[in-house]
Amino acid sequence: MIRVGGRLPTIRRPTGPLAGEERWAWLFLAPTLLGLAILSAGPIIAAFGISLTDWDLFTAPKFVGLDNFGQLLADRKFGIALRNTTFYTLTSVPLGLVLALGIAIALNRSIRGIAWIRTAYFLPVVTSTTAIALVWFWIYSPQEGLLNQVLGLFGIQGQRWISDPFWAMPSIVIMSVWQGLGTSVIIFLAGLQAIPQEYHDAAAVDGAGRWARFRHVTLPLLTPSIFFTGILSLIGSFQVFDQVYILARPGRPTEATITLIYYIYEKGFQNFKMGDAAAASWVLFVIVAVLTVVYFRLQRRWVHYQ
Amino acid sequence: MDPGLLVSRRTRKVSGAIVVGLLIAGGLLMIAPFLWMILTSLKTRAEVFGAAPFALPTGPHFENYERMWNGLPDVTFGTFFINSLKLATLNTAGQLVTSSMAAFAFAVIKFRGRAPLFALLLATLIIPYQVVLVPNFILYRSLPHPFSASGNWIGTQEPLWVGAWLGGAFGTFLLRQFFLAIPSELADAARVDGANPWAIFRHIYLPLSRPALATLAIFTFMWSWNDLIDPLIYLRDLRLFTTTAGLSLFQGQFVGKWPEMMAGALVSLAPMIILFVVAQRYFVRGIALSGLKG
Repeated sequence: MIRVGGRLPTIRRPTGPLAGEERWAWLFLAPTLLGLAILSAGPIIAAFGISLTDWDLFTAPKFVGLDNFGQLLADRKFGIALRNTTFYTLTSVPLGLVLALGIAIALNRSIRGIAWIRTAYFLPVVTSTTAIALVWFWIYSPQEGLLNQVLGLFGIQGQRWISDPFWAMPSIVIMSVWQGLGTSVIIFLAGLQAIPQEYHDAAAVDGAGRWARFRHVTLPLLTPSIFFTGILSLIGSFQVFDQVYILARPGRPTEATITLIYYIYEKGFQNFKMGDAAAASWVLFVIVAVLTVVYFRLQRRWVHYQ
Repeated sequence: MDPGLLVSRRTRKVSGAIVVGLLIAGGLLMIAPFLWMILTSLKTRAEVFGAAPFALPTGPHFENYERMWNGLPDVTFGTFFINSLKLATLNTAGQLVTSSMAAFAFAVIKFRGRAPLFALLLATLIIPYQVVLVPNFILYRSLPHPFSASGNWIGTQEPLWVGAWLGGAFGTFLLRQFFLAIPSELADAARVDGANPWAIFRHIYLPLSRPALATLAIFTFMWSWNDLIDPLIYLRDLRLFTTTAGLSLFQGQFVGKWPEMMAGALVSLAPMIILFVVAQRYFVRGIALSGLKG
């Protein structure tokens, strides 16, 4: 795709000062174009091709048409992975958004020491899920873990958390919300600080109470931030892997916690069924693509841009 | 003064104090896992099981760190640490160079196909990266490698950093936003003086973009340092493992030995925590910037 030469250097198109430098653009873009072709955009097409085969990497791929997709639908484990991921999305996304919104509004004040408090909320964001999941593995430990010890102080019966089929997924959700909260808080804080104080003052002069100001000034002006945080959390919620992998160690995740990404990982890189793994990847791709399009379509109904 | 106003001011003060109190309580809840990790890593095993959860250890039992460091056969945790450091550095350098080049093309140079190409790049930002795990694995498996046991890139660290030298949607998007804010008169003036686009990029745009480059560097470093699924997929030899891949073996290696596990978690988290404390404003700016203009 790199265009070199062809046009006489003396011919300058009148579209702008750098218009004659088109070939430079392709030079600057060369690494990115190669990356798009072989590592990101291209492989999405390739994944579809692979999903039409039976391929264990050791023998030649065998074309099987859409069989792998049929097998996915029939695979109980895939259904469970889909259900667990859906549960994760439906709980962690709204929970994270509401908590982050509340925290951001509370944090949006200038008092002494507020920077320290903010840091506490941001800190988990930068830490690796692997190491943090190890810590939560210990927090959730049935006998001596922190959670059961603290619950014990209040006379509440502890749980087996991760090894309990009912509590396993909620445990992962709680850990993930704790870890991801800071990202949304930062975006909301930036959004809140962009709202001009005059709007609040004008509403107050008109007699609007605090709730009315929140409901009719803050919230509408924050909808672009909420929209953006929503899409980030939504896409992120389909990518859960690290905590599922670590919290189940040294064994494998039980049916209570396998997610779509874990299913792909296991099919592709433990069982070496590339066709099945690619088919599951494509299902993931389609789900995320459809949700994203729907989400952007609904934008007009509730997002207000200034 | 109107007595009603006085009352409302007092209730405001009280409710403000309640909010701050809740904020502090929530903040403590946020850092409790870190405190618990540090405390546990310094306790003896007997103390972990016997005493109250947040009781202080009888002394800093650094021997946990030593046992953790040498806990796996043939390697020390230092090996994992150096591998992670090496990969994070290579990834960061690659993203800085190639994303800034692409961002410059999109922001400053006019060329046919600019808008659709940028849209395509942005679309890859939305697609979960895991969708391409299988094709990427097959690609790296087909590339010959002179020093690998498999003869191809599987089992080497190359798949964990080479891709970073082929651009990235996040970095390109972030830097393009920044480049667009630089007045184009600067580039025009340089052109009149005979500067080519490379010189304009190198001597005008890059030096003016240090904050944005710092933001991208920190994010790339963090993603590389924290990555788990790629090391699990591509690495076979313990001597090539990263800290995350190494940590994933800990629950099998140190069954019930919580102090050692927490010591390992702490050592692997330390660089990111230090980086965060030093460069918090770049983290915050990176998240806020991509958030506001997304």
